[in-house]
Amino acid sequence: MSIKFNFILFLATSFLIISSCSDDDNGTSTPPNPPSLPIEQYSNLHADQEVDYTTNPPTYSGEFIKFDFGTGSTTTSETDWDIAFRGTTILVNGGDTTGIAEEPLRTGNAAAYIYDGLFQDLTEVDESLLRLDDMYDGLAIPTGSGNGWYNYSSMVITPIAGKVLVFRTADGKYAKMEILSYYKDAPAEITNTIALSDNRYYTFNYMYQPEAGNTSF
Amino acid sequence: MMFISTFMSFGQSNETPNQDTSLRFLEDIGEVVISATRTNKNQNSVPLPVVIINREEIINSNFVTLEEAINEQSGLITIPDYGGGEGIQIQGFDSEHVLILMDGVPIIGRLAGTLDLKRFNLGNVERIEIVKGASSSLYGNEALGGVVNIISKSPEEGVRGDVNYRGSTWNTHDINTNLGFSKDNFGITSFFDHNRSEGYDLTPETSSKTVSPFYNFTSNTRISYAFSPKTSLTVTGRYYGQTQDYSIDSSNGESTIDEWNVTAKLDADWKGVELCGEVYISDYSTFEFIDNAQSERVYEARYDQRLFRPELRSVFNVNSNQEFIVGIGLNHEELVRSSFWLDPSINTLYSYAQYDASFFKEKINFIVGARFDNHQEYKSQLSPKVAIQWNGSEKFNLKTSLAYGFKAPDFRQLYFDFSNSSVGYTVLGYNAVPERLSELDNQGDIIEIIIPISEYRGKLQAENSLNFNFGLNYNPSKKLLLDANFFYNRVKDLIDTRVIARKTNGQNVFSYHNIDEISTFGCEFNLKWIPSDNLRISSGYQLLYAYDRAAIDEFNSDNVFGRLAPNQPVFRLERSDYFGLLNRSRHMANIKIFASIPRVNCDVNLRGTFRSKYGLFDSNNNNYLDDFDVFVDGYSIWDIALSKEVLGKFRVALGMDNVFNFTDADNISNIPGRSIYSKISFSFNS
Repeated sequence: MSIKFNFILFLATSFLIISSCSDDDNGTSTPPNPPSLPIEQYSNLHADQEVDYTTNPPTYSGEFIKFDFGTGSTTTSETDWDIAFRGTTILVNGGDTTGIAEEPLRTGNAAAYIYDGLFQDLTEVDESLLRLDDMYDGLAIPTGSGNGWYNYSSMVITPIAGKVLVFRTADGKYAKMEILSYYKDAPAEITNTIALSDNRYYTFNYMYQPEAGNTSF
Repeated sequence: MMFISTFMSFGQSNETPNQDTSLRFLEDIGEVVISATRTNKNQNSVPLPVVIINREEIINSNFVTLEEAINEQSGLITIPDYGGGEGIQIQGFDSEHVLILMDGVPIIGRLAGTLDLKRFNLGNVERIEIVKGASSSLYGNEALGGVVNIISKSPEEGVRGDVNYRGSTWNTHDINTNLGFSKDNFGITSFFDHNRSEGYDLTPETSSKTVSPFYNFTSNTRISYAFSPKTSLTVTGRYYGQTQDYSIDSSNGESTIDEWNVTAKLDADWKGVELCGEVYISDYSTFEFIDNAQSERVYEARYDQRLFRPELRSVFNVNSNQEFIVGIGLNHEELVRSSFWLDPSINTLYSYAQYDASFFKEKINFIVGARFDNHQEYKSQLSPKVAIQWNGSEKFNLKTSLAYGFKAPDFRQLYFDFSNSSVGYTVLGYNAVPERLSELDNQGDIIEIIIPISEYRGKLQAENSLNFNFGLNYNPSKKLLLDANFFYNRVKDLIDTRVIARKTNGQNVFSYHNIDEISTFGCEFNLKWIPSDNLRISSGYQLLYAYDRAAIDEFNSDNVFGRLAPNQPVFRLERSDYFGLLNRSRHMANIKIFASIPRVNCDVNLRGTFRSKYGLFDSNNNNYLDDFDVFVDGYSIWDIALSKEVLGKFRVALGMDNVFNFTDADNISNIPGRSIYSKISFSFNS
């Protein structure tokens, strides 16, 4: 009987051991290399928009918020801007009108592409990949979940890790940008309240190469 | 809140555990199984991994519906979907890759691929057979991960009947009766069940319940008549209807399911050749709506699927050791539902053949077979299978099998035409793309077509798999049984959505294409042991790895990145950080202890299941489930039950499911917490 009892005990304990097994295996993160150019951070760029859900499909409107890498700030200038934000849409000051409501006129030579990798690993701009905004080919930075810089799920916009936006500015200089958050003050956790009321606030890191024609960072 | 019923009712004496319980427990390894080969075979001589849940286990565990029985088997689990259904997972395959049969004919009615096992009441089920691994060589479509065959009672000699009532927590009631009569060449058996529940709420702070109140009704009748000793006709009919009421804030809604099927089967024996002609027709329809506070209809959807399937098959015995099976049939399917490009109707002509033999004084069992499905809308499929078993001795055998499985593109993947009215995206079925995308383009809704329409002029491929099993059985004594099975599945051409065009509203048009490749592999161990005449123990364990092949390539190419939180720095992930597919647990285990106490004529049992941690979604949004995502913690569920025979004809049972009251409101909708039940059965026969 005791052998039998031991066997039951063995079963019970092996069951418990299996129950308590876990296979956590934390990966390693690579520390960023010290860059020669400074990494700037811009917080809470408020790119609000209005959405009219009574139409099908919904109509988006509102003013685009323009940003100038040279000054590191937003601007209302008609001509002296590099990129512009409204909701999740990002325009460049280069190319043609694409037909979006309240779209600013593009007067510069800006362009963009998306680099897959770490921010610090992008040391050289590949000019052959640069795209202009275009009515037929769409925006240089595409919109839509998973197409460009963000994923959209469970009401939350999350910047995709490893997507670096590479820009040629309106006056032919270069900048790279990593969007960190779409919510006010870049909170660590996006609650439902934050998702609904504190959205469309961009926080991003960027590096600007002020020397004209220099494609290195 | 708790409802403990003391209501009295009734059960069947041939259902109650008897003196031979211990013997039957081990012998069920040697039980007859039909699903593996389409002929009655002893489970010991089938070279495939087969699980049988017999009537005794169903009775002893007081199961009401199929998903409860499935969840206590090794390597099997049910997964809740967003629509409230619970589908089976076998060897890492999800519900849409598992074929569900009832008495050998396929059950229809899936919601986004999931076939809800809660639809099947076990009150008249004789046994459930589960064949793991691909079985398309016999059954065609959907049989990649496995086949579940629910086998209902056949008419038995004399007049028999039983009445059963089970009441439990959340005002849940199940009342059913079996009535049967058989004499000479005529037999009839009928089953009626009514089940209702108030549902339960894991999130009282929200206005909708986790499971809304529902009631359903099942009826099943089988009539058999033998024209002569060699010719007989069997007609089976089933109806299932369910109504569920929803209430969210001030809106009210209802969803109804109506399912019925009829099978007529003529069996004949002609000069030693068994001939069978079978006609099966099934219809599954749903209707749902939501009305707002002003009683205005804000949502309405309909779904009506129909299957008509005549089949002829024949079994020819060359001699006692060699058997041929051949079959030919036609699947005719129709569907009417909201958001479809057209009302599809599809015909598939199929034929199959199988050779089954044993050699060297039954030391070797050998099966080779194949099936051909000729389809209009996807590439025709040839599904071969080969399996072999070597009986080393009476105590030891080895079995191995290699088989092909496929799943045809479903109606949604071919004909969907859906535009989301609030967000504005569009989803088109593969066959709907050429016409509908051109229309959208002509209307000026499209900025850019990313995938040329010409790519949609071909045919979508069926999803397909190659399945390998290798098993060992060791039966050292009449009191102990051990088995192990190693499995590997390589799945190709899985259908996924991709963006095919961008719309002027900034949203996308999606359609389906063959892209994903996955592999699942692992092993399973089982033990059955009888320490004493009154004690039976069984236990099982499954180890599972399930990976997306493309994900492994991406991790190996250093293309996957993550963040610990939305505002944290980005880092690169390693291959070892890749966990695998969603909703697959690395470890699953179960233990069941059944004991009899003869002195007081009581039976008790304790049953436990465990599943280790798993991922429900890609919480860090890098498209892969990795170690930095949020996981659902592993958990175990324990059930106990006590039953007693009274006056020979009554059986009274009392039990508690989920004794430790485990719940996870955020992640697991189908585990309601502790429930207490009582069941009373009365049976008679003459």
